Amino acid sequence: MKRALLILAVFATAVLGASAQTWYVTVAGLGGEPDYTQRFNADAQSLDKLFRQAAPADHVITLIGPAATRETLHQALGQVAAAAKPDDDFVLTLIGHGTYDGVEYKFNLPGPDVSAAELAAWCDRIAARRQLIVDTSSASGGALAALQSPRRAVVAATKSGTEKNATVFARYWAQALQDPSADLDKNQSISAAEAFAYAQRKVADFYTSQQRLATEHPQSSNGKLLASLTLVRFGQAQRAYADPAKRALLDQKEALESKIDALNYQKDALPDEEYKTQITALLLQLAKLQKEIDQ
Amino acid sequence: MTAVLALWLWGSGSAPQAPPPSAANCAALRLHDRSAAATACYQALAASPRLADQAEGDWGLGLYDQANTAFRAAAAQNDASAALRVRWGRLLHERFNDTDADGLFQEALQRDPKSADAYLGQALVSADGFDGKALESANRALELDPKLAEAHVLLATLALEDSDSAAAAREADAALAAQPDDLDAMAVHAAMGILANQPADAWLKRIAAVNPHYGQAQAAIARQLVLHRRYDEAVNYYRQAVTLDPELWSAHSELGVTLMRLGDDASSRQELEAAYDHDYRDAATVNSLRLLDSYKNFDVVRDGPVWLKLDKKESALLAPYFEKVVEHALQVYGAKYQMTLPVQPSGFAVQVEAYPNHDDFAVRSVGLPGLGALGVTLGDVVAMDSPSGRPPGDFNWASTLWHELDHVYVLTATHHLAPRWFAEGLAVHEETQANPEWGDRITPDVLVAIQANRLLPVAELDRGFMHPAYPNQVIVSYYQAGRICDYIQEKWGAPKLVEMVHDFAVPTTTPAVIQQALGITPAEFDTRFFAWLRQQLGAEPANFNQWRTTLKAMAAAPGPAAVIPLAEKARDLYPDYIYDANPYGYLAKAYLAQNDPEAARQALATYQKYGGHDPDLLRQLAKLEPPADAAATLDRINYIYPMDAETHRQLGDLWMQVHNTAGAVQEYTAVLDLHPLDRAGSEFHLAQAEYAAGNLDAAQDAVIASLVAAHDYRPAQDLLVKIMDAKKGKTP
Repeated sequence: MKRALLILAVFATAVLGASAQTWYVTVAGLGGEPDYTQRFNADAQSLDKLFRQAAPADHVITLIGPAATRETLHQALGQVAAAAKPDDDFVLTLIGHGTYDGVEYKFNLPGPDVSAAELAAWCDRIAARRQLIVDTSSASGGALAALQSPRRAVVAATKSGTEKNATVFARYWAQALQDPSADLDKNQSISAAEAFAYAQRKVADFYTSQQRLATEHPQSSNGKLLASLTLVRFGQAQRAYADPAKRALLDQKEALESKIDALNYQKDALPDEEYKTQITALLLQLAKLQKEIDQ
Repeated sequence: MTAVLALWLWGSGSAPQAPPPSAANCAALRLHDRSAAATACYQALAASPRLADQAEGDWGLGLYDQANTAFRAAAAQNDASAALRVRWGRLLHERFNDTDADGLFQEALQRDPKSADAYLGQALVSADGFDGKALESANRALELDPKLAEAHVLLATLALEDSDSAAAAREADAALAAQPDDLDAMAVHAAMGILANQPADAWLKRIAAVNPHYGQAQAAIARQLVLHRRYDEAVNYYRQAVTLDPELWSAHSELGVTLMRLGDDASSRQELEAAYDHDYRDAATVNSLRLLDSYKNFDVVRDGPVWLKLDKKESALLAPYFEKVVEHALQVYGAKYQMTLPVQPSGFAVQVEAYPNHDDFAVRSVGLPGLGALGVTLGDVVAMDSPSGRPPGDFNWASTLWHELDHVYVLTATHHLAPRWFAEGLAVHEETQANPEWGDRITPDVLVAIQANRLLPVAELDRGFMHPAYPNQVIVSYYQAGRICDYIQEKWGAPKLVEMVHDFAVPTTTPAVIQQALGITPAEFDTRFFAWLRQQLGAEPANFNQWRTTLKAMAAAPGPAAVIPLAEKARDLYPDYIYDANPYGYLAKAYLAQNDPEAARQALATYQKYGGHDPDLLRQLAKLEPPADAAATLDRINYIYPMDAETHRQLGDLWMQVHNTAGAVQEYTAVLDLHPLDRAGSEFHLAQAEYAAGNLDAAQDAVIASLVAAHDYRPAQDLLVKIMDAKKGKTP
């Protein structure tokens, strides 16, 4: 059963304790029809609410309705570019319709649209070393190539620019950030990769349950960055993250987890019993440490 | 022209004795093993200025594309000729294009409605597709030309397929009367003898005297053996056929398909490739080779004498459930038939193969896609659809497997001599003996057939399987055969059915066994059986039209209050109806809308009792039941559609609730075999079940797997501590 996360949810990067900040820009594009306008605005407002629980108000910019123009978007990204530092993270979420003419992708806004190339150029000016662009629009697969960058992960609702029907991906992306079942590694935080896996599955389930041919096939790039980018923490993990006194314990935990990962890389080279003994010992240490962190 | 003819000498003397070259002359030379002369004859025809002769010549020389081109040109030149179109159609029929061949036979009949050869062509095309129209067309051909030997041979072949030896002999004799050197008619006689376990040497010698290299006779015998499910013997005859005529590529192909049926994949590939490489590329050859290529994607799971061949993607999931059913079947059937299946040289006593792609199963069974069956027994090999090969709820795979395993025993016990109706009837009967919810319920098709008095006398029931005369007659025949066995058990007792199995272990006939085992004539048996069946069915057949109207009204009813009385009425008129838009599902939905879960539970429980197998309805039932009943209901889904991870997880939880830890372990393992997104959670559930079952090592393995996937998973961390404490002897 789906449960809403506690309002303690917080958005942050995976790097603990540093002064790293996360910047959020969310845009609800041109709906064209009242139904779409309402849906896009609702999804954007839902994300805005979550982001504002996680970050200072000046780190969250949400553009909805007539305010969501090419110019205001340009200004918003300029504002982030002026303030964000290299250690910061940046998340841009686009909700709406997109078009692709075979060469160029454009995100539909009141007035002039914005192209993927323009968006990439504006985001390139932001110093944040880890960026995530979530383009939930129709035809967003056509934007992927233009948006890609080594310091950027991109999530698109469609596999290519030719999937032109309105998408449902945004709804499930927002849901992923509120549903604990998206937390596959049970660490009480949801990474961009987990959110993507959740939304991808929900989209497929949606079309199956509606007995409709799927007209969107989400895709992502830069999986490593996607997996490392934590979007939400909750429960004890959130509290520990917020408690400077737990810093040392969390550092120990990170070191222990590195050892576990290293041992797993060697698993095939070790006799089964030896691996089992070693991994059990490490996991027991981790369990003990976790108790201390959670106290 | 003279120069060409000079090359075409036949006979052993030095003086040319050249009859006018014609396709019939050339064919006669070939029939009499005069290969060189036949080739020269066809070469002469191919060099003829007449397009029709060219076509015949090229065809005889194996130049099929040229022959086709020549026929097309000839037909364009001579629009009125029916004979030309018949010959062209025969070429296409020989070269695997029955659709266009049939079109040409129709064109021929438009030009000459009295063309016996055109009707014969149609009959041959229909016979290839086991279409009941073959009989009609062949008889029409003989009405027009009673001496058309080939039509007699076809009727003889069809009769033998239906195990009607008397008719087969009569038609073969008629063919020989019309054409004394008709080797195919002699082959029918030989096949009759071999099917009856009688020596056929005299007929084979007669054939050899005419043409010692006529492998087609042995191939025809082999084909009959295949149709009578005597695959090992068929292989021997196919091998003889290709020894006599190494270039008989159709026999190489059929040998390959038969070897594949028997599980000898290496030899099968050799024969199929030989046929393919020599341009014999009919659908069966090509499909079978493709299937053999796909076997690299299958695992063979060996459990003693039982081997399971399962797609790698689902073998871990399915193997435990399949093993359970097969082991149970071997116990039950072993006791019933008092026999142990012999272990074959290949190492198995029985091999069960499950195909996620239905067309692969069809190719495995008959070489062609489009087979309507769910499972097929090929000697000691059972091939069937995997549960993943059909939509959820489409069939009960365990029931199908149980059915096929009965065939393995009965065919082994009867040396493959049991007639089809008895083998199928017994297998259908055994399904419901094993589990009253298994087996097919009476379908609307069967009810309509009963209403129209379209059931066959028992002595002719094989025809309903082999050459159905109306759509769904095969389904109707399955039902009838199953009910015949139910009837025999009820009136004479279960041992009588086993006795009949032994009676059919020697060459005999259905009338003889009915008389011998039951002490009544087949006609008397039919009279009594039909009376019993009418009594069993009660008013269901008579209610059919009313039921249909009621069901339609139910589906259109506006709300629960309107639906309930109509659904109850439809249910009472035809309670066996558990298929699409069944009243049980409507009732449950309506009762739930009226906040009456107990009534909904009762409706769905009745649906289950009648063998309903829609997983959605069964899951709905489970939600309304107490844990033990719910677990039993969800467990039934494992034998219908075990591909849903959430159902396995729920069943695992229920087994934990009712302290069936072994069941929980199996279900949580099944979840993992379905590669869930939440691997950590699934491993944790398994670890809990293993821990509860006292399997500490297995619990430790599972919880490690959980924590490797999710280091911070606190419940798993706690469980690891508990497991390690328990291993050290500490009390939790």
